[in-house]
Amino acid sequence: MNTEQWEVMVGNKAIAYAAKMARVKYISAFPITPQTTIVQYLAEMIANGELDAEFVTVEGELTAQASALTAAAAGVRVFTATSGPGLLYMHHPMHATSGARLPIVMAVVHRSVKGMQPDHSDMMAQRDTSWMMFECENSQELLDTGIMAFKIAEDERVRLPAIFSGDGYILSYTAEPVELPLQEEVDAFLPPYKSSIPLLPEQAEEMRMYMMRMWGFERDPQFAWKAQQDAMESAKAVIKEVNEEYGKWFGRSYGNGLVEEYMCEDAEAVIVAMGTIASTARTAIKNLRKGGKRIGLVKLKSFKPFPGEEFKRIGENVDAIGVIDRNVSCGSGGIIFGEVRNSMYDLEVRPKTLEFYAGLCGKEVRVSDIEKVAEKTLMAARGKAVAPTVEWV
Amino acid sequence: MSKPIPLIKLGDEEFIDPANQACQGCAGSIVARIVSKALGTRMVRQEVACCGPAFGNIRAPSIYAEVFEGAGAMMTGLSRAYKRLGRDDIIVTGIIGDGGTVDIGLQGLSAAAERNENVLWIVYDNEAYMNTGGQRSSSTTKYAATTTTPVGEMSRGKRERKKNVPLLVATHNVPYTATASVAYPEDLFGKLEYAKNIKGFRYIHISAPCPTGWSFDPKDTIKVGREMVLSGLWPLYEVIDGKTIRQTYKPKELKPVRGVLKMQGRFRHITDTEVDEIQQEVNDFWGRLTAKDGGPFF
Amino acid sequence: MLEIRFHGRGGQGAVTGVRVLATALYYDGKFTQGIPMYGTERRGAPVVSFLRVGEERINERDLVHEPDLVVVLDPLLGQTVPVTDGLKKGGLVLINHPRGGRETGLGGPFKVATVDATKIAMEVLGRPITNTAILGAFAKVTGLVTLESLEKAVLKQWSGNIGNVNVRAVKRAYDEANDPVDVSDVEGIRVRELGVMDRDVSSWRLFRPEIDAGKCVGCRRCYIFCPEVAIAMAENKAEINYAYCKGCGICFEECPVKAIAFKQEEI
Repeated sequence: MNTEQWEVMVGNKAIAYAAKMARVKYISAFPITPQTTIVQYLAEMIANGELDAEFVTVEGELTAQASALTAAAAGVRVFTATSGPGLLYMHHPMHATSGARLPIVMAVVHRSVKGMQPDHSDMMAQRDTSWMMFECENSQELLDTGIMAFKIAEDERVRLPAIFSGDGYILSYTAEPVELPLQEEVDAFLPPYKSSIPLLPEQAEEMRMYMMRMWGFERDPQFAWKAQQDAMESAKAVIKEVNEEYGKWFGRSYGNGLVEEYMCEDAEAVIVAMGTIASTARTAIKNLRKGGKRIGLVKLKSFKPFPGEEFKRIGENVDAIGVIDRNVSCGSGGIIFGEVRNSMYDLEVRPKTLEFYAGLCGKEVRVSDIEKVAEKTLMAARGKAVAPTVEWV
Repeated sequence: MSKPIPLIKLGDEEFIDPANQACQGCAGSIVARIVSKALGTRMVRQEVACCGPAFGNIRAPSIYAEVFEGAGAMMTGLSRAYKRLGRDDIIVTGIIGDGGTVDIGLQGLSAAAERNENVLWIVYDNEAYMNTGGQRSSSTTKYAATTTTPVGEMSRGKRERKKNVPLLVATHNVPYTATASVAYPEDLFGKLEYAKNIKGFRYIHISAPCPTGWSFDPKDTIKVGREMVLSGLWPLYEVIDGKTIRQTYKPKELKPVRGVLKMQGRFRHITDTEVDEIQQEVNDFWGRLTAKDGGPFF
Repeated sequence: MLEIRFHGRGGQGAVTGVRVLATALYYDGKFTQGIPMYGTERRGAPVVSFLRVGEERINERDLVHEPDLVVVLDPLLGQTVPVTDGLKKGGLVLINHPRGGRETGLGGPFKVATVDATKIAMEVLGRPITNTAILGAFAKVTGLVTLESLEKAVLKQWSGNIGNVNVRAVKRAYDEANDPVDVSDVEGIRVRELGVMDRDVSSWRLFRPEIDAGKCVGCRRCYIFCPEVAIAMAENKAEINYAYCKGCGICFEECPVKAIAFKQEEI
């Protein structure tokens, strides 16, 4: 690990660096605010010889995804990036990518599907595409997670595509110092890419057998779904391994890779958040702790696969959990709220749960907002009646 | 310029397995056979939803992904990846139906052509979404009965004229654009031979009559194809680099369109006035085409 | 509640036929549930559909695995499709066939009734679409639906002349259907079920091309036009591999020297 390289850069540049250091060979992306500059940085890197890759200025996000999938199938490491409606537009081929078990890595700079400012509705709309999803709270984490994502996705035990994401504007255009790993070290950490689909002419017979296995008539029609679900389950261990290995190589790791527990020792209650809200929450929690309040933060990093076991474990030791969702599935509720509750259902004694919607369509989330969320959660932990249990922050 | 290849000059080797699950008399199957024979083992294909998978007995590797609109995108990804891998021997090909080319696939087609992707786009045009039962496409001839343009008191079949996509592709100034027909295999083999030896975006649009969808006896597939060419309904030509256009088969006189239209059940209802309308258009286009033959395209 | 399975080929109208039958049964006061099996329903490829018939609304939505009755619209289907699989003991098969129930190649603990629906269809409709003819026979041998309701249902499906002509086919088949006969002592033919790698489409044929080698000039038109790649050149003569021939007739039509004959397949 060498910390001599660093630069003050915006989040989008950190994302571009992740792709560059992973030595991707095929990039296809279509501009959409607030992702656009990622693609421009990469174009510049290619134009001045820093990055040797195919760069296709595709006519739309659907083509970005669909062409990335065949390029990955043919045998090169690929990268694409998008936001909000662009992510929606590529929904169709996203299922093809995961169905074909292609380990593509895609950066998503969050943009609401209902506006230009950030929330997690774009990612949530793709929740069921069998893509892994890793949320980041700062630009450093974007760079590191991008590199890790390739390793996790390409692992034999996983072979699923992955999104690594961060909130648009808040991260994409905000400048922070970011440490860059050495290229040689990334090369050693991340082995070269190999396709698992025999798509060269000399592999015609192998391809026939592959197709038989994939589309075989004796095969249980549920096979593909089961395989994807099994891969997601296996991914949990791989995520933890890669996170730990990354820490050894580069001196930075993120909780256990799935979640990070911040000031949760002896906590009576915890709040749960993803991404930049979790970042702001750290300050709120620190403030409350200074005041003697026993409150902690669980930062959710791996949204998919969802680490239910982690929450079950955490739920055993606290009396209340306040979940902050930067999304709402209208007609149901916040998605992380539902997942957290679901994971704790089998506990003998279940903590109270509270739902908070915050930051939708980019509404500012302040330290004081989160302090209030935390206070309310603490009150619930103490058995004090707290109404309502669903709140728009 | 392409040159027709006499059938006796063709090699004996096949690159396709015999018998498939397509309809009796399927012209798409004939296209698959001809293309695989011409491109041999150098081909890697990409497939989208169409009748293709039903007659998909070509031996060369192919990736099928459930992205109907993505033919252009998927060919692009393959081609760029093979370039990175140093495999310039591979011919990235798509044998795509009219639906995946002229309708839902049009954006991807135009974009791939505009980027001059190094791919060979082959269309087998059966003038409808045949795989899903025969719904109209923008490649369906006017007045044809299809399941979404049925004939009844309030409807005379498809209202719109057949969209001319070959000319549209040619205006992208790609290295090669051509029309062909299953009924003229020597011409088609010649065009495939020419296309396979150059790089960049190549497009061959093949008329492939469909006995099931057009309602005629399967034994007449080639006959209907031939009559379409002889009547000027489907002229055979090629455009090089978007600059010069040349008719590759030019009957001295066109046969009246009525003959070939009446061979097909999908035009069973057509009136003389409607036939005349189609005849007028054919004559008009033929006149303009022959005036340009051998000279500048635009 | 009764369960029926239909076997046909794409293009024989199996799906429409079942719908017409269901309509007729409804006229007779019965509830039905018709399940077509959609695949790539190509003209000529084997298709299956199911029909449940009961006195009240039918709730089960799974497939029919043990039919009481099996209807087969094509005389050669039984060679490659196990049409009697799952048929209940004492059940009934109605098959479109030119000969009697004991000569269809089907054998087992059930009865077989036949009707030459192809002949009736060709003579009455001019095309080998056997669905209405088979329904007429169905009414006769099973007694499950009345002829009157069947006629009503046919006219509801097709109006004008087409309707009338189909009613004639129904009536003729009703008259000409052979009574069911027991086949428990008949040795059924071994079904040569086609695996995924099998490429045998010979049972798709109604007609069969035959090349006169003497007349063949080796022009290779039939060779290149065969959609199934069933024709190979041997010493400059075209030869057909019948396992791969669907009987489409293109070779017959395109031979410039008329060296190919096109004859009806013998069943």
